[in-house]
Amino acid sequence: MSDVLLPVAIAVPLVAATLPLALGLKYERAGWPVAAVATTALAGLAAAIGIEVARGGALSHALGTYEPPIGIELVADELSVAVLALVAAVSLATLAFARVAGPRGNSFYSGYLLLVGGLTGLVLTGDLFNMFVFLEIVGISTYALIAADRSGASAYASLKYLVVGTVGASLYLLGVGYAFLATGTLNMLDMQAQIVQQASYADPLIRASYALIVAGLGLKIAVFPIHAWQPDAYQRAPDAVTTVVAALVSTASAYALIRVSYTVFTVDFLAANDAITTGMLIVAGASILAGSALAAMQSDLKRMFAYSSVAQFGMIVAAIALANETALLGGIVHLVGHGLLKFGLFLGIGLLALGYGARKLDDLASAARSAPYTSGAVALLGLGLVGIPPSIGFLGKWYIGVGAVESSMAGGDPAGIGIAVVIFVSTLFTLSYVARVIERFYFAGVGLSDGHGDDHDESGHGDGGGHDDADRGVAADGGRESVTDDDGDGPLTPVEGAPRSRLVPDRVPPASLAILVLAALTTVALGFGGYALFEWFDPYLTEVFA
Amino acid sequence: MNPILTSVPPYVLLAFAALAVLALPRRSGHAVAALATAFTFAQAVLLGDGGTGAHLATQFLGFDVVWFNVDQFSLLMGVVVGFLATAAVLYAYGTEAPTWVTAFALIYVATTVGTIYAGDWLTLIFFWELMAVTSTLLVWQYGGAAVRAGYRYAIFHGIGGTLLLGAVVVHFANAGTFLFSATDGIDASATLLAAIGIGVNCGFIFLHTWLPDTYPRPHVAASVFLSVFTTKTAVYVMYRAFPEGGMWLAYLGGFMAVYGAFFALLQYDPRRLLSYHIQAQVGYMLAGLGLATYVGEFAVTGGFAHLFNNVLYKSLLFMAVGVVIYRTDVEDIRDMGGLWRVMPVTFLVYVVGAASITAVPGFNGFISKGMVIDSAHEVHNFELLFGEGLLWWLLILGGVGTFMSFIKLGYYVFFHGSATLSPKDATPFQTAGMVLAGGACVFFGVFYYQLIELMPFTEIILSEDVYFKPYSMSHLTESAALLVTGFVGFFALKRPLAWLAHHMRDVDAVTYPATFYLGRGSVWGVTELWAAVDRAVMATIASAEWIGMHPREALARAGVDVEIRTGIGRSVLFLTLTAGVALFVFVLS
Repeated sequence: MSDVLLPVAIAVPLVAATLPLALGLKYERAGWPVAAVATTALAGLAAAIGIEVARGGALSHALGTYEPPIGIELVADELSVAVLALVAAVSLATLAFARVAGPRGNSFYSGYLLLVGGLTGLVLTGDLFNMFVFLEIVGISTYALIAADRSGASAYASLKYLVVGTVGASLYLLGVGYAFLATGTLNMLDMQAQIVQQASYADPLIRASYALIVAGLGLKIAVFPIHAWQPDAYQRAPDAVTTVVAALVSTASAYALIRVSYTVFTVDFLAANDAITTGMLIVAGASILAGSALAAMQSDLKRMFAYSSVAQFGMIVAAIALANETALLGGIVHLVGHGLLKFGLFLGIGLLALGYGARKLDDLASAARSAPYTSGAVALLGLGLVGIPPSIGFLGKWYIGVGAVESSMAGGDPAGIGIAVVIFVSTLFTLSYVARVIERFYFAGVGLSDGHGDDHDESGHGDGGGHDDADRGVAADGGRESVTDDDGDGPLTPVEGAPRSRLVPDRVPPASLAILVLAALTTVALGFGGYALFEWFDPYLTEVFA
Repeated sequence: MNPILTSVPPYVLLAFAALAVLALPRRSGHAVAALATAFTFAQAVLLGDGGTGAHLATQFLGFDVVWFNVDQFSLLMGVVVGFLATAAVLYAYGTEAPTWVTAFALIYVATTVGTIYAGDWLTLIFFWELMAVTSTLLVWQYGGAAVRAGYRYAIFHGIGGTLLLGAVVVHFANAGTFLFSATDGIDASATLLAAIGIGVNCGFIFLHTWLPDTYPRPHVAASVFLSVFTTKTAVYVMYRAFPEGGMWLAYLGGFMAVYGAFFALLQYDPRRLLSYHIQAQVGYMLAGLGLATYVGEFAVTGGFAHLFNNVLYKSLLFMAVGVVIYRTDVEDIRDMGGLWRVMPVTFLVYVVGAASITAVPGFNGFISKGMVIDSAHEVHNFELLFGEGLLWWLLILGGVGTFMSFIKLGYYVFFHGSATLSPKDATPFQTAGMVLAGGACVFFGVFYYQLIELMPFTEIILSEDVYFKPYSMSHLTESAALLVTGFVGFFALKRPLAWLAHHMRDVDAVTYPATFYLGRGSVWGVTELWAAVDRAVMATIASAEWIGMHPREALARAGVDVEIRTGIGRSVLFLTLTAGVALFVFVLS
């Protein structure tokens, strides 16, 4: 019975989360291997689920012996498989970086696996209350992970997220409670039917329920103006945590919003309540603009891309509220694509911080000279974020924009055109901050003499041998004193003890660099797969818009 | 009719010949060039025998076009351009013209012929613009002072060509076709654009300064080509645009005749003097064409006959003067003198040319200028002395001025004190070219029926209804009076004219500096305006960026003292407010 894969996929990381702590009693470094095995297993399970879905359509599994609608149902359809694949891939890929960048310790890996398990459950569940449980598992493990490096700033960020996140989750729970009052069920598909049978789309209880759920999930997604926890959390968290959180946590919450909006409340509910969609579109538009503008104002790299996420999730919320097929396709594609792009970007930033101590825009002068592959991959991902084809970043934005225009054309609602304009303006903002990064990479510090040779000697391990042959090419024209300006225009220089590789001049961990390059290339490759993506999501969209 | 004759547009051959001149040795290259121009001439002559029609009518860019339009008017242009170009090629060969000069000249002839044989406005404007380009190249080839003059020439013709292009576009927008055959001239709404656009090439007063500015500068052989094609083609195109003529055109022609002759009288550079006469002679032609409706076909024929003759004698004069310059390297007639003894052939040719342009009986100018003046005789709009109208008096005055200036030119070059220079006479090939052109001048002066045969409306002119007797007593008397007046006038007014020549400037003394400073001013203005815009934009961006990067400081400077970062408490407040607003909107809507 193949649908047993679903509970197994959730159980593997959750059960494995206990092992580092348990084994930690005996082995000091048990965490990483356990996490590696568990996430690898999850990746295999995700692939198996994907194949099953591709062959036979949606899977479902009733937990325990209780049949739905009483019991808890797990469901995997095309949408959840796509997000599940992202969760599995990112959680596996981040481990390579976490191994070198930290945080270390068994408790970190327990939290990490708990997060992965929560995300998996969130994606696969078919029950509203069960979704709340996984939302809380994700939330709590995220709070813990953000503070994992035990610094004051991260503790504050974690506390901030803890407080507002708890309130947000409570709002969601309140909304679910209202819906339960109105319908008497918690199973998603059953509630979809019961809303029509026992209540109506105009029922104040149903509307209030949706309002609370949107507000709660909106906080988790971090849309303007309830995004305030997110930049702090992303900036202050350890780099490896930021990588996984930025790629998955908000993404899973946005997935939950899509799931609740289209599977539970349905497109007819949205169509019947213009004020709701209009309100969501206004918030989404504000989020897109404010996020982009705030991102353009930042000088800290992680904070810059954190605000960028506010804008990008604004687009996804807009796609949900537009409630037409093209826009929703764009929203889903952007959901997955943005997760991948942000994973790559935060990984790249983390690598530069690890190898060169660069955390601010000004630190990046001539990064392309000393770290060509890292810089190139980050630049490629950045351009994808701007939406330059061929990249999955372009596809998602494009479909959302087209869907927005279509909705205006069809319904005469000016909000659609407004969203299209806002997306365009946001693209310009995105270009402005991505261009600043690329400008630092490739053009800043051109007039400076190359100080790499000296720095290599200072930071060298003195272990003889030709370990830095690859660096000689860079150093060959150097050898002079480096002229470092006080305003931070000095060229990027590796930190002491930065890793070396014989293959590339980048002073970053090679395994992570390989993953980064792979991620960058994947975004481009997916950009060519527009039609395949359309084919993949077509059954889901057909069902939703039936 | 041989289909080859009607299917080979001569300008294609001429263009290939231009390449051949560059590729082949000098002698054989010029031979090919002469053959190509001679073919143009022969083809036009042969096509005159029943070969008219719109040949090579096709579609280009989706428009109906005619690439080889043969009718009475284009044929007479083809005959004279082909004939004269042949003579000019011989002359160029005899004047040691560099092969580049002959090649540019030939491609210039090719574009001229293309303009002539165009059967629609699209083809015409295409060749018209090319004509401006090729003639500019011909001027520039000489280098030195010709470069700046050529640049001014290019600006003039660029503006003129653009105006005509505008006229063609307006014409198409209104008429819906480019074909000549579909409309009677250019559309009325494009009149002003077309008149000014073509008028630049015609040398309308105030638009003429490029003429005396450019034509004296390049190689003497290049001057021979330039002097006859651009302006005469413009007159021909003027007729295409305004077949009905118009009194404005006639009077403009009259004033051009006086203006050009008067300024010619003040010149000491021989080619500059001749250039002003181009304007004057074009004036006669336009006067004839302008009377197309008022007087009739006789005036049109007179205008075209004058055009035809002018091509012959004007180039002849440029050739003769060119020989003197070529042999002496002197370009001021006051430094010449007494050359008739050492250059008898050149002197003789000059006399033929001068007699033709001043309308001495027995030379072709007498026939055609007489026709124009006869036409003007019938115009009595503004009657002055002796019951004659203003137009007639203008043309007569222009004739007197012409005669005076050619007495002046001949007197200074060939007589005027003792010979200080002793150059050789014309080379054999120069002589050959000059004899061709000069022979034609005399031939059509004597056998004027041949001239009328080449013209349109032959039957009407030769019919009994029209009074066409050039050698009648009244014409001869008129001519004699003109000549005597001119002769006496020159020697009587020699000193005042010399004084005037030092003090009287043409309009270019004002227009060129004005254009220059206007251009420089506008460039400066645009640049500075752009710089100001740029500074403002960059300052705005910089301040926006600073505010964005330092929001706290910006707020502090504005006197606002608040914490803008959202802490935990404020975050929860926002969340609660959002949920509240959402509830309010979602439920109560």
